[in-house]
Amino acid sequence: MEFAIVSALNGVIYGLLLFMVSAGLTLIFGMMGVLNFAHASFYMLGAYAAYAVSSRVNFWVGLLIAPLVVGVVGMLVERFLLRRVHAFGHAHQLLLTFGLALIFEELIKLFFGDFPVNYRMPENLRFAAFTVFGTDYPFYRMFIGAVAVIMFIALYVLLARTRIGIVVRAAERLPNMAEALGHDVPLVFTSVFGAGAALAGLAGAVAGAFFPTNPNMALDMAIIVFVVVVVGGLGSLKGSLVASVMIGLFSSFAVGIDWSLATLCDLVGLGAWARSVGGLLTMTISSISGTIPFLLMLIVLLVRPAGLMGERN
Amino acid sequence: MRTPLLIVVVLALLTGVPPFLGLGLQNTFINVLIACLFALAFNLLVGQAGLLSFGHAAYYGVGAFTTLHLMQAVEHGFAFPTPLLPLAGAAAGLVVGVVAGFFATIRSGVYFALVTLAIAELLHSLAPHWQGVFGGEAGLSSMRMPWAGFTFGSTLQVYYLTLTWVALSIWVLWAYTRTPFGRLTLALRDNEQRVRFLGYDAHATKVIVFAISATFSGIAGALQAIANETANYSLFSAHVSAQVVLQTFVGGSTVFFGPALGAAVFTVFADQISDLTRSWQLYQGEIFVLVVLFAPTGIGGIVEHHLRHWRQLDWSRLAAPYALGGFGGALVAAAAVFLTETLSVLFGEPYALMRKKAGDGYPSFDLFGIHWAPTNPVTWSVPLVLFLAGVVLLLRARREIAALWDAIRSAPASQTADDEVDASLQSTQHSPV
Amino acid sequence: MRSLALFALLASGTVLAVPVQAEPLKIGIIESLSGSQTSTGRLFAAAVDYGVSLINAEGGFNGAPVQVIKYDNAGGTTEAADKFKQAVADGVNIIVQGASSAIAGQITEDVRKYNLRNPGKEVMYINVGAEAMELTGDKCHFYQFRYTTTAPMRVNALVKAMKAAGDLGTKVYSINQNYSWGTDMQAAIEAAAPIGGYEVVEKVLHDVNKIQDFAPYVAKIKAANPDTAITGNWSNDVLLLMKAAHDAGLKVRFATAFLDQPGNIANAGEIALGDYLANSYVNGAGDPTFAEKYKAAVGHYPVFVEPQTVFAIGALQLALAKLDFHGGPINVTDIAKALENVTYMSPVGPISVRKEDHQTIRPVVVSKVVKNPKYPADGTDLGFQAVSTVAGPDAIYPVQASCQMKRPT
Repeated sequence: MEFAIVSALNGVIYGLLLFMVSAGLTLIFGMMGVLNFAHASFYMLGAYAAYAVSSRVNFWVGLLIAPLVVGVVGMLVERFLLRRVHAFGHAHQLLLTFGLALIFEELIKLFFGDFPVNYRMPENLRFAAFTVFGTDYPFYRMFIGAVAVIMFIALYVLLARTRIGIVVRAAERLPNMAEALGHDVPLVFTSVFGAGAALAGLAGAVAGAFFPTNPNMALDMAIIVFVVVVVGGLGSLKGSLVASVMIGLFSSFAVGIDWSLATLCDLVGLGAWARSVGGLLTMTISSISGTIPFLLMLIVLLVRPAGLMGERN
Repeated sequence: MRTPLLIVVVLALLTGVPPFLGLGLQNTFINVLIACLFALAFNLLVGQAGLLSFGHAAYYGVGAFTTLHLMQAVEHGFAFPTPLLPLAGAAAGLVVGVVAGFFATIRSGVYFALVTLAIAELLHSLAPHWQGVFGGEAGLSSMRMPWAGFTFGSTLQVYYLTLTWVALSIWVLWAYTRTPFGRLTLALRDNEQRVRFLGYDAHATKVIVFAISATFSGIAGALQAIANETANYSLFSAHVSAQVVLQTFVGGSTVFFGPALGAAVFTVFADQISDLTRSWQLYQGEIFVLVVLFAPTGIGGIVEHHLRHWRQLDWSRLAAPYALGGFGGALVAAAAVFLTETLSVLFGEPYALMRKKAGDGYPSFDLFGIHWAPTNPVTWSVPLVLFLAGVVLLLRARREIAALWDAIRSAPASQTADDEVDASLQSTQHSPV
Repeated sequence: MRSLALFALLASGTVLAVPVQAEPLKIGIIESLSGSQTSTGRLFAAAVDYGVSLINAEGGFNGAPVQVIKYDNAGGTTEAADKFKQAVADGVNIIVQGASSAIAGQITEDVRKYNLRNPGKEVMYINVGAEAMELTGDKCHFYQFRYTTTAPMRVNALVKAMKAAGDLGTKVYSINQNYSWGTDMQAAIEAAAPIGGYEVVEKVLHDVNKIQDFAPYVAKIKAANPDTAITGNWSNDVLLLMKAAHDAGLKVRFATAFLDQPGNIANAGEIALGDYLANSYVNGAGDPTFAEKYKAAVGHYPVFVEPQTVFAIGALQLALAKLDFHGGPINVTDIAKALENVTYMSPVGPISVRKEDHQTIRPVVVSKVVKNPKYPADGTDLGFQAVSTVAGPDAIYPVQASCQMKRPT
């Protein structure tokens, strides 16, 4: 029972964190058709920027500045790099972001070293929010969840209820028409890219204090985030949210599930045989919990590439 | 006309030179050959069929593991000629390629790329847990068994085995581009709808292309397994898939030999530079991004472009701006390297120790055999000056080169000799992907 | 005519006055000098440099200073295989490596096969950090030496020391990484249950260095309610496990193998207080001369894998002192035979080589994290203080049946 409650809470919050990163990615894809391989690098940049600032000034200042810095970087990348290869097609844009992801990772290693850095939350945030059956639940996790929720609300309000939102949505739907109506569509694209990057940077700044901050965090996050946006539907914010929480919950619960295909065979009396064969049949869900998201991604891509809530395309 | 002669020369060099090289260089040659084959197999899918795959390591790895299992069987008595071991890799690549390709090619564009990525990552995360097939984290290891008088113990013998297989495979891949099916592959990339209207089953065609690409990737993996006598799950990693993408596009996916060129350059680069500096992967990434931005057809594309207009090139006028541009590029590269290495020293641990010893000051450090002081503006002006000078020269050279090429392109149509060159090189020529 | 004779005389004199040959001994470090385990790899390299500097301070070997060549395997086995071939091409006689059991497995096999194929030109492998049992089990061969501990050595020492200090309890949780090292640890923890008088309440194997969030595992530990959790985790895996345990308010004592990795204590902070560690050496456990000399030369007290590496090179130095090749070609088989018979006096006890599998019989130091120790770690006010030292013969594990070492004639 305790395991279930704690895992559910952890799963939801990890899912919300995934959402913070994938929101930007799915927005950018929906708008520009570019799957940004370097998106998780923005997450990493945010964490390191926050670390650099917070170790000199203050954690909260770091939290404020990191998304701004990453947003600016994102805008520069879009304006001067992506736009240049736009003419060559989607594949070249993919390749460019791919190369950028490599460069960002190496630059971080250059400045900060190959090993994890000591980016920690301030001591005054390190307390238990509440106690569940004798286990403390750290406040900082709730903080991460709260930031994600606030961000989602702000994003939704911005897109659905403001003028800027209308322009952005129009530019996504019919860029030529929006341009014909006098809006600076390239500027909109740059701003959306920058905003998406800033969101990922904020996620990094917030999460980096809790999870390890090291040069591998981009690659680890990138792969999971791709799974999330694919399952949720490329271009759909709501789908992203649902998929993130789903995958977060699954990752959390899978650890405690020791079932395998052999357990399934037990139901039909073939358990002993399955166990003697070994290999694939005796692999427990807990040990291959890292593999199952990819299986899910494959199934979604093959059966319904629009994902849970994307548009049929 | 020039091409076959060039090929003969290259083959002769590859056959005749290695016995005189040291073990280290022989090993590098083996790695270069394997990388070339892998990149060419990859380009079959990417450059010719237009299907961008981000998970090709899957078929490479599968080929390696299957071959290793066969090697282990041979080691324990199963009679199978060692030189034919790569057939196991080919078979595995084919089977997995058909299955994976069938599902992957249902989708196209970015979704296709994601499916291939997912397949590779699936294998990558599954392999360490599947002890029986993939040997867990340590992987599998075996030993090459002698056959027909050859012990295959020396690097040189392994090299010749690799060379034979790679040369044969490349010849088959090249011959493929000359067949009607090879033309159909290009058509798939250019306009899939039209291919369907012409009556072909586009999906089946794509599956076959995928399978062929996977087969030769499997052979490359097999050769790697034979050379190293081990394989482990890291062969499925995103890094391996990434390397082949980098190499193919830097070399140029529009020309047949482009990816081989890129593979050779990057493999040698990684081999030689990785022991000199920690930032070699940064340089690789930067070269890749520069190529994507400024030379989307890659090195091979540029070379091919020049060869096509060879008769019209007036070297007496082109030489100067090219040299200028080359020099400018070298200056910019020098500036980038200087800056990177300086930053690497300044932000590294040994320097942090030096600073502590100097009481938190900024002591001087050694780089390229010279003593530099971080507080001295000269240290920072060196890369700045190099960079600015390089950029100025590059811009100047670009203007002149652009003017000269405009003149060439607007010149009257090429003569017959050019047409022959045209035809022999045009197997994969097209606008960037 | 006379000038010709004079010339001939001079020429023959020059030919006869050939300078004394001096073929240097070459040591190749094939380490993770880039990639995620860089910090550990660099520690191994720095320690080897220090050890070799001691040899060269005494005049080197075979008439020339010992050369150290570094090869970066970037943390991958394929790269390690390539660098091995390069090392052999460069004439390296002894390969040193430690930062990964997977890479060690690759290198030891490469060395074995190379020696089989090139009799007379053998190379040797000194393993200074890889602890998977198979390296002195089915992968053992004459030209490899393991100068570090293994899972049973660490676990047995931990269990004995913690039991004597009354910190062990009766319920033990086993959480380890899912690969050769982790499974070795799990097996050792189960095997030591009778000695320690405890029950293994649950055992878990998880993905290596991939898990960002150990909260689910901590929840499982909480549910099992153990007194002690024994883990062989390293790097992020041990750090995050402890962080998650602290966040959940889990009152469990951790007994670890790699808690002293630089950065762990700084990152963990006070939650590490009272946790145990078993390794080859901890500053303060014996004669401080070694630590002071190291600090004077390198700039910091020896930490983590540095001491065991220095001991290994020290043993090599003793072996070399027994040999004389008169400046001629180096015979690695002789070096290996000499090394087999060397006993090195480390500050915490003697280290000798077991001939059956070339595992070193060495003392294991058990220490605890305390506040304000004599040798603080990571610039904090916490550090490791030795609790007890288990002597070599008591710590060693029995020779594995899978090791069938063929000795050279």
